[in-house]
Amino acid sequence: MSDQLFAQAIGMCAAVLLLSAVLLVWRRAQAAALPLMSLQGLALASLVAVLGIQAGSRELLELAALVLVFKAVGLPLVLVRSSQGEQGGAPLINTATSLIAMAGLTAVAYVVSAPLSALGSGPTVQAIPVGIALVLYGFLLLVTGRHAIVQLVGFLVIDNGTSAVAFLSSGGVPVIVELGVVLDVLLVILILYVLTGRIRDEFGATDLDDLTELHD
Amino acid sequence: MTDTGVRIQLALLALAVVVALLAPVHRRALLSGLVVAGIGIAGVLTGWLALTGHAGRLTIPVALPFGPVTLSPAPLGGFFMLVIGAVGAVCAVYSVGYVHGPAASRTSWVALAVFLTAMQLVAASADVVAFLLAWELMALSSTVLVLTEHAHRATVRSATLWYAAMTQLSFFLVLLGFAVLSAEAGSTQFADLAASHVDSAASNLAFVALLLGFAAKAGIVPLHVWLPRAHPEAPSHVSALMSAAMVKLGVYGAVLVTTQLLVSASTWRSLLVLGVGTLSAVYGILQASVASDIKRLLAFSTTENIGLMFLAIGASSLLRPYGSTDVADTALVACLLLVMAHAAFKTTLFLGAGSILRATGERDLDLLGGLVSRMPVTSATFGIGALGAAALPLTAGFVAEWVLLQSLIHGGGTQNRILAITMPVAVGAVALTAGLALMTFVKAYGIAFLARPRSEGASQAQESPTSMRVGLVVAAASVLGLGLVPGLSVSVASRALGLGDAAAAGSGGIDLVGLGATLHPGPLLLLALVLVVPVVVVSVAAARRRPRRDVDLAWGSGGVRVSPRMQYTATSYAEPLSRIFDDSLRPERDVVVTHSSEARYLVERIQYRQRLSDVFESRLYLPVIGVIERVGAAAKNLQNGKINFYLAYSFVAFLVVLMVVTL
Amino acid sequence: MVLLLVQVVVMVALTPLLVGVMRQVRSRLEGRAGAGILQPWRDLRKLFAKEPLRAPGISWVQAAGPVVLVTSGLLLCALIPLVGTVASPLLTDDLFVVVGVLLVGTVALALVGLDAGSAFGGMGSSRHMTIAALVEPTVLVAVYALSVPIGSSALSRIVNARIEAPASVAAPVSLLAMVALAIAVMAETSRMPVDNPSTHLELTMVHEAMVLESSGRDLAWLELGSWLRLGALLGLIGTLTLPWGMAVEVAPVPVLVGVVTLAVRLAVLGALLATLEVFLAKLRLFRVPELLAGSFVLALLAVTASYLTVTV
Repeated sequence: MSDQLFAQAIGMCAAVLLLSAVLLVWRRAQAAALPLMSLQGLALASLVAVLGIQAGSRELLELAALVLVFKAVGLPLVLVRSSQGEQGGAPLINTATSLIAMAGLTAVAYVVSAPLSALGSGPTVQAIPVGIALVLYGFLLLVTGRHAIVQLVGFLVIDNGTSAVAFLSSGGVPVIVELGVVLDVLLVILILYVLTGRIRDEFGATDLDDLTELHD
Repeated sequence: MTDTGVRIQLALLALAVVVALLAPVHRRALLSGLVVAGIGIAGVLTGWLALTGHAGRLTIPVALPFGPVTLSPAPLGGFFMLVIGAVGAVCAVYSVGYVHGPAASRTSWVALAVFLTAMQLVAASADVVAFLLAWELMALSSTVLVLTEHAHRATVRSATLWYAAMTQLSFFLVLLGFAVLSAEAGSTQFADLAASHVDSAASNLAFVALLLGFAAKAGIVPLHVWLPRAHPEAPSHVSALMSAAMVKLGVYGAVLVTTQLLVSASTWRSLLVLGVGTLSAVYGILQASVASDIKRLLAFSTTENIGLMFLAIGASSLLRPYGSTDVADTALVACLLLVMAHAAFKTTLFLGAGSILRATGERDLDLLGGLVSRMPVTSATFGIGALGAAALPLTAGFVAEWVLLQSLIHGGGTQNRILAITMPVAVGAVALTAGLALMTFVKAYGIAFLARPRSEGASQAQESPTSMRVGLVVAAASVLGLGLVPGLSVSVASRALGLGDAAAAGSGGIDLVGLGATLHPGPLLLLALVLVVPVVVVSVAAARRRPRRDVDLAWGSGGVRVSPRMQYTATSYAEPLSRIFDDSLRPERDVVVTHSSEARYLVERIQYRQRLSDVFESRLYLPVIGVIERVGAAAKNLQNGKINFYLAYSFVAFLVVLMVVTL
Repeated sequence: MVLLLVQVVVMVALTPLLVGVMRQVRSRLEGRAGAGILQPWRDLRKLFAKEPLRAPGISWVQAAGPVVLVTSGLLLCALIPLVGTVASPLLTDDLFVVVGVLLVGTVALALVGLDAGSAFGGMGSSRHMTIAALVEPTVLVAVYALSVPIGSSALSRIVNARIEAPASVAAPVSLLAMVALAIAVMAETSRMPVDNPSTHLELTMVHEAMVLESSGRDLAWLELGSWLRLGALLGLIGTLTLPWGMAVEVAPVPVLVGVVTLAVRLAVLGALLATLEVFLAKLRLFRVPELLAGSFVLALLAVTASYLTVTV
C-alpha cells in the first residue's frame, strides 16, 4: 500500500470514528444507537485492517476480523437486547451544552496527546488524538446519561477509543491481549445486560433518578 | 542468652493460648493465670540477663520487604522487660481470683497473654519493624481487653473509641518518626539509627513526631485524654497492667529517642520535654485530687508520674551540655527509679481498687468507707501503696523523688541563665505535685477505708480470696523493699543506662558520688524503731491502768449521733482545693432550689450538682472533633446517591491525571 | 548517736516548756494572769491518767496515729541539728528526708481526723491537708535556696558553713529564704495567721478539729507530737539564724553549752512568735493560699538570686 493511500485510509477511519461518536452524543445515544455503534465497530475494524495490510502482518488482519465480529456485530446486538426498544428520557444536560462540552474535550484530547508526538510523525501518530477524544466522549456519555443504556454505550465508546489508541501508537497488540480485552468487555456488557433487565423488572424503567440509595 | 529467654516467652504465649482455649471452665482461670505469670517471670529473667550483659539475638523472618525482625534487648530494653515482666506476673496471679463474668472468658485470657508478650517484645526489639509490629499488637490486644465489660456498662464503648483513636494516632506518629530516621540512615536497625547523623530538618521532624507519639502512649498532657477514660473501664488487673506497664513503654521510647537515637544539644528539645512533663505532672495530680472515682483518681495519678518521668528526661538532656555529666546521669537514673517505683505502687493501688470493687461493687469513693476492719489485707496493702504514691520516706516513691530532687538542685545554674530559671521552677513543680499527691492519697485511703460505710455495698464487704491477697502483698512488699534497700534499684538503673555500678553504697543505701549526697533508709528505720519503743512502753503502761472504754456517742463538741451520711466524702474533702484551683479545673456547679408548693418563701428541696470534667477534653478536643464532624457532614453531600455524580468524580480525576502527566 | 539521743531527751523536756512560755507571753500581753509555764506538763500528766474513749465505728487508727505522730516528732528532733552538728556517717540529715518525716506526721494526724467519722474531723483533715499541699513547694524551694551556696542539702553541712561564715546569715538570699521558711513553719505547725491554736469555734478549727474526738493518752500523744514538731521546726529556724553555741564535738562541756543555747534560742523565738500572734488576726481559709503563694515567690526569688549573684 502506498504511503499516500495509507495516510488517506487511516484518516478516513479516524474521521468515521469521530463522526460516529459525535452523532452518538448528539442523538443522546437513543434510537440511533445500534447503527452508530456498528458503524464505529466497522471503522475500528477497518483501521486495524489497514494497519495490518501496511505492516503485512497476518495477526493484525485476524485481529481486524475479531474486532469486526465483536464490536461491529456482537456487542451492539447485545445492546439492543438490553434496551429492548426503550425510549428513555432527557439526559442530564441539554444538547447544546453537551456539544460545547464535546468541543472542550476535543481540545483537551489534543493538548494531552502533545507528548505522544514524540513517537514519530506518521499518519498513525496524528490520528492518536482521535482515540483519546473518543475516550473522553465516552466518559461524557457515562456522566451525563440518565439511563443505564446510555451508560452502556458510553462504556463501549471508551473501549473503542482505548483500542484505537493502542493500535495507533504501538502498531498492534498481541492477540492474547486483545482477546482478553474483548472478553472483559463482553463480560461487563453481559453483566450490565442482566442488571438492566433486573432493574427494569423491579422498577419498570431504568431511569437512574430512581436509583439514589447508594449513599450514607 | 536473651534469645533463649525470648523463645521461652513465645513458647509460653502459645501454651497460654492453648490453655485458655481448651481448659475446662472451672480450671481456666487458675491454669491461664499461672501460664501468664510464667510469661511474666520469663520476662523478668530475660531482662535480668540483658542487664547483666548476656546479650543474644533472635531473628524471625517475616514476609515484609524490610528484612527480618530482630529481637535483641539492650540493657535499657532489658530494664523495661524486667519491670513489665514483674508487673505482669503479679497481675496474673491476682487475676486468678479476680476474674468473673466477661473477664473470665477465653477471649480475655488470650488477649491478656498476647498483651503481656507484646509489651515484652516491644522492649526486646532491636529494629524498627519489630518495634512497630509489637507496638501495634500491644495496642490491639489492649483494646480488646478494655472492651471486656462493654455489655455491662454503656461508658465502656466510648472509652474504647477514645483509646483506640489515640493509640492509632500514637502509632502513626511513631511510624512517621521512624520512617524519617530509617530513610536517612538507610537501615531499620536501632544500632544503625543511633550511629547515623541525620540532617537537622529531618531530625527535628523525626524528634517531634516520635516525642508526640510516645507522649500519646504515655499519657502526657494534652494527649492524655484516653487515660482517665480507658483505665477505669478496663477490668482491674488490666488497668494495673496498662497503668503500671504499658505507659512505661512510652517512657522507654522517649528515653531511647533522647539518649540514643537522636542525641543533640539543642535546648528547645530539652525544654519541650521538660515543659510537657511539668504540665502533665501538675495537671494530672490536680485532676486526681478532685476525682471521686477511685480508678479515675489512679489514672490521673499515672499521668502525674509520667509527667515527672518526662521532667527528669528533659532535665537530664538540658543539664548535659552545660558541663555536669554526673548530674545529667543522675537525672536519668531518677527517671528509671520513678519507673520502678511507679510500677510497684501503681500495681498495688489498682489491684487494691479491684479488690474494693469486687467486694463492694462500688468505684465511687463517696460511697465507700469503713473497710479497714472488714478488709484488713486490702487496707494494709492499699495503705502502703498510697504511702509510696505520696512519696513518704521508707517507700520506693520517696527514693525516686529524692534522687530527682538531688539532680535538680545540683543543676549548676550558676553557669547558665536558662538553668537558673528552669531548675527552681522544676523543683517548685515537683514539690507542688508531691504536696497534692500527699493530699490525694490521704483522701483516697482515708475516705475509702476509714470511718463508717457510706453505702450498702461498703457495709457488706468481704476480704478478697487468696490469689488476690498474694498479688497485693507481693506488690506492697516491693514498694517497701525498693524503698528500704534502694541501692539495689539504683545499681539496676545505672546498669540499664550503661553507667556501671556507680551509685550504690553499703547497707543498701544510695551514695551519689558525683553530687556528694547520700541516703540510707535502713538506719533511719532502725532509729525510728528505737524511738518508738519508749512511746509504746508508756502507752502500754497507761493502758494497764486506764483501758480504752467504748461509748455510744461520739463527742462532736457535745455528744452527737452521727449518721454515715454526715461524714466528709471525697468530693467535700477536695472542695477547698477545687475552689483554690478553680481557674484550672473549671468545675460546673449547679444549685437548684425547689420551693414548697404552698408558700414561695419555704424551700422544699435544694439540689447541688458539681461536674468536673477534663479541661483539655472540653476546651481542646471537643471543638476539634466538632470541626471535623462539620467537615465530614459537608463532605457527605458529595455522596448524594446518583451514579452520574460518582462517574463524574472518576472522570474529573482522569482528566486531572492526564493534565498533570502532560504538564 | 549519743548526740541524737541527747537531742531527743532534751527536746521532750523542753518543748512543753516552750509551749508554756508562748502561752504565758500571750496571756500577759492580753492582760491575763496566765496558767504558768509548767501547765502543758500538767496537762499531759492529766491526760495520761484518763481513759481514752472509743465511739462506734472507730478503728485502730485512733490508737496508732498518735504514736506515729509522736515518733515522727522524735525523729525530727533526732535528725535536725539542734544541740550539735556532728554528722553521723550512716544517718542522713538531708533536708528532704527531714521534710519527708514531717509529712509522715502530717498524714498520721489527717488520718486520725478522718477516722473520727464526724463532719468536724473530716473538715479539719481536709483543710490541714490542703494547707500542707500548698506549703510544700515553699518548703522545698526554701531548702533548695539554702543548699545552693553549699552545694548540698545535708543540714549539718549547711549549719557548719553558717557557723564558719557568720556573715552569710545576713546575706539577702539567706534572709529571703528564712522568711519563706518561717511562713512555711507557721503554716505547717498550725500557728497564726493560718490557724488559731486556742480557738473554740469549730468552724475556724484546723488542727483542733482533727483531735476533737481523741481523748486520754491518744490526745496526750497528739499534743506532745505537735509540740515536738513545733519545737523542732523553731529549733531549725534558730539554728539557721543564730548558729552560735552549737556543739561541734561530742564532749560534755560543748554539749551542755549547746543545750543551754538551744533553750535560749527556743525561748526567744517562742516569745517572738507569741507576740506576733497577739497582733495578727487569723486569715480566712481561702486567703491562706495567697499567703503561701507569696512565700513561694520569696523562696523562688531567693534561689534565682543565689544563682545570679556570682559571689555567695
